[in-house]
Amino acid sequence: MEDQQIPSASSPLDNFFNISFDDAVRSQVRGAASWAKICALCAFIGAGVGLIVAFFGVSGATVGTENIRVNSFARVGMILGALISAAISVFINYWLYRFATSTTKGMDAMDSVKTNEGLNSLRTYFRILGVILIIVLSLFALGVLIGLLSLGMGGR
Amino acid sequence: MENNQQESLLQMHVDYDGGNILRETVRWSRFLSIVGIIAIAFFALIFAVAGSAMLAAFSSLSPGLEGLASMGGVIVIVFCLVAFAIAGYIVFMLYRFSTLTRKAIDHQDQGLFAEGMKCLKIYFVINGVLAVLSLLFNLLSITKLFHS
Repeated sequence: MEDQQIPSASSPLDNFFNISFDDAVRSQVRGAASWAKICALCAFIGAGVGLIVAFFGVSGATVGTENIRVNSFARVGMILGALISAAISVFINYWLYRFATSTTKGMDAMDSVKTNEGLNSLRTYFRILGVILIIVLSLFALGVLIGLLSLGMGGR
Repeated sequence: MENNQQESLLQMHVDYDGGNILRETVRWSRFLSIVGIIAIAFFALIFAVAGSAMLAAFSSLSPGLEGLASMGGVIVIVFCLVAFAIAGYIVFMLYRFSTLTRKAIDHQDQGLFAEGMKCLKIYFVINGVLAVLSLLFNLLSITKLFHS
């Protein structure tokens, strides 16, 4: 009975217990979170400014060198574009803001649930950026492909 | 010795969920940083090959940029180099965050974990400064728009 050995195989649960949020890491994470909050707030204000410009600024704006007034069709397009870009920006930066607030709370209260919640928001933020990047790259590749095909058709 | 053990017990450890979340965060951030590095290299190459032609095209298209060519290419080149350097440093920091944090989780290394988090902080510091600057420029342009 005494010779019986404790099984040495470690479960995945034990694998992460050697790294911790010590004072140095906590101060770095707090710094990252506070700057991330600044980024998110600037993005929220920027989206608001974009909407204000789209709704109130475009009517007086001119296009090109010949002072052509922006017609109503272009104005609707600009407002729609501003709305869509503001919505995307707010959606992305909402997760960054959540990362900032939850992680700061987690670090201050030494609460691993809040910290994980914050890190999860950071994961979602990077994931959304990654998905948007994949979509943009796909559209870019499609554009290049169509361009090459049209060049090939034009050559014949 | 006892003090160290007590300190270690009092600290908040990265648990199983936290580790998994960090792993996935790192995977996405590495993807973003690698694509960013490739994109910056691509644009730098385009600028190096066709920079003068692009400047000439811009100055003929937009009347506001007429002075660009006469300003001397040096200022424009310096501006572009600074922009490429800042963008490069941002994506490099993101890449370092991903690689160091991944290694820290794999090798259970506290030092690497701290380094990784430091890189994440630098990444957000630079992004924050740029966000504040761009917001100021936005506000400046909005005041100009409503005054004109």
